[in-house]
Amino acid sequence: MVAPPDNDVLWARSLNCSLGGTPALSGVSIGIREGEILAVTGPRGSGKTTLLRCLSGQLTPDQGEVWFNSSPVHTMAPLQRERLRREKFGWIAPEPALVPELTAWENAALPLLLRGSSQQAAKTTAMEWLERLDIGMCARKRPHALLQAQRQRISLARALVSTPCVLYADEPTATLHRAEGAQFLRTLTTAARSHRITVLLATSDPEIATLADRAVALLDGRRVNSTGGGANGAEGVTACSLSV
Amino acid sequence: MLALRLARGTHPLVLLRRLLVAFASAGVGFLLLCALGYAAGHPDDSATATLRLLWCLVPLAAMVHLAVAVARTDPSTRPRPGLSAIGLGPGRLTAIAAASTAVSCTLGSALALLVYLHLRGDITGMPFDGAAAELLAADRPMPLPAALTLLAVPPVTASLAAALALRLRRPVPSADDPPEDGAPGGLPWGVALLAAGLAVEIYAGRSQGEAGVFAGWALTALGLAVAGPGLTHLSGRLLQSVRPGPIRLIAGRALMTESRRIGRPLGVVCAVGSGAFAAATLSVTIGPPAVLGAVLVVACTIGTLATAALEARHARTSTTTALLALGAPPATLRTAAALRAGALLLVLTPVTWAVAALAAMPLHS
Repeated sequence: MVAPPDNDVLWARSLNCSLGGTPALSGVSIGIREGEILAVTGPRGSGKTTLLRCLSGQLTPDQGEVWFNSSPVHTMAPLQRERLRREKFGWIAPEPALVPELTAWENAALPLLLRGSSQQAAKTTAMEWLERLDIGMCARKRPHALLQAQRQRISLARALVSTPCVLYADEPTATLHRAEGAQFLRTLTTAARSHRITVLLATSDPEIATLADRAVALLDGRRVNSTGGGANGAEGVTACSLSV
Repeated sequence: MLALRLARGTHPLVLLRRLLVAFASAGVGFLLLCALGYAAGHPDDSATATLRLLWCLVPLAAMVHLAVAVARTDPSTRPRPGLSAIGLGPGRLTAIAAASTAVSCTLGSALALLVYLHLRGDITGMPFDGAAAELLAADRPMPLPAALTLLAVPPVTASLAAALALRLRRPVPSADDPPEDGAPGGLPWGVALLAAGLAVEIYAGRSQGEAGVFAGWALTALGLAVAGPGLTHLSGRLLQSVRPGPIRLIAGRALMTESRRIGRPLGVVCAVGSGAFAAATLSVTIGPPAVLGAVLVVACTIGTLATAALEARHARTSTTTALLALGAPPATLRTAAALRAGALLLVLTPVTWAVAALAAMPLHS
């Protein structure tokens, strides 16, 4: 086993993964630097979600290695991987996937509550994030009473509330209209830059990929090429750091 | 035919549930035939024969309750987007659900007829030939049209009830559907029925009116059954109150959301428990058909509760997936489920016991 480069927070080598016999990833290698926003692009069915699930420890690859901060994710026990997801990672799905019986602030506070913080502290932090994302007025409503864009923002608040090391966003704007989607991504990127959160953004839209520092393209489960994103790498990071 | 074809590919657990319905239907059919046998054997005692037939309504109701719960949870007749797109929408699926219910109940009725004829001694060659010849009036010819009419009762009622209960299902249930919020309205009615039942019992007990005492007791049992959803909601509300941690929060809210689904069968189980308590305090000696009826009622109500719990678990699949994606340990979810069961036991056991004890008191006199 080769130890990963020091400046990569997340690193994967020659991942092979099949879902129910169908090959989803074949020989994908990827390295993500700390604080960078990396877009994973490709059409539907190209293996973006599978790659994100492998990197976040939700799936174990058939072959290959995944390292997070010099610890091997691919050899971890399921309980350790859960703990890693709970403590270090955030996840935004295409659908908001909120818990329907909890109110907006309870949904947003859930990661903190699961980590064992007190109810009052979790509520304060969750309410702060909801206010920052302009959905403070929906805090006491249930998800079914809200609009899709508001629900997706609650899902963003839930992912950011614990200030994770790595935030996985799997096509977060797929179910939103263009204006709402653009605002969502702006909020996501500024929040990530100001809190130095590493973001993996899976998207099938090349326009969205230009918001990222770097883009990696997948096609039929293989990497095809990688291109620089719209922002100029590390130089742009501090300049974009707004307070969100 | 489609109902049978769908049944062939289903999970063994689903088939087991249908088999349970078939056995329950067989039991009810046998009880109905027993009542018929008594009526044939005692032509001059028609009042008792009618009373026996009426007592069969209790196991019949329990069996229909079970059949509807099983039809509701049947995955092969659940409205699905794929099937809805090819024109097999909720309407057709309801018909299929009713047909499969009718198939299992008819199977049960046929079994009941076989066992009945065997115990009468009409079919020979197996152990217990004619073991209950006296009870089933073997010396008289069996009125076949009457027997067939009675045996048709369980399949017809069960499939009609299934069709009526399932006709309003939504074509594609989605996560965005508003859950049934707010407390279910049964609690005040349940309490009112309980109070009215106890009052009727006490007044009838003073004037030695046996029918009045029994009617009052039945009202209290009905009150328990009606109050079930409200009590379930109340226990969920208590569980999540006062600064809850994640486990209490998830468990309590889930109980509040599922109070309608779980609460009704739970209320019926409480009512049956109250009946068992009354029977135990009276220490009545009952014959074999009554034992069969009691076993049927208890098995059907517990089976209905288990099926409803399974249905609730299926309805929460998306929530569970979302929680697991967040990194919630499965142990947390299991603890939450155990906490739900514990809270229900803690609230419902004393309530049922108190009501049963109060309601059984006037029965002594």
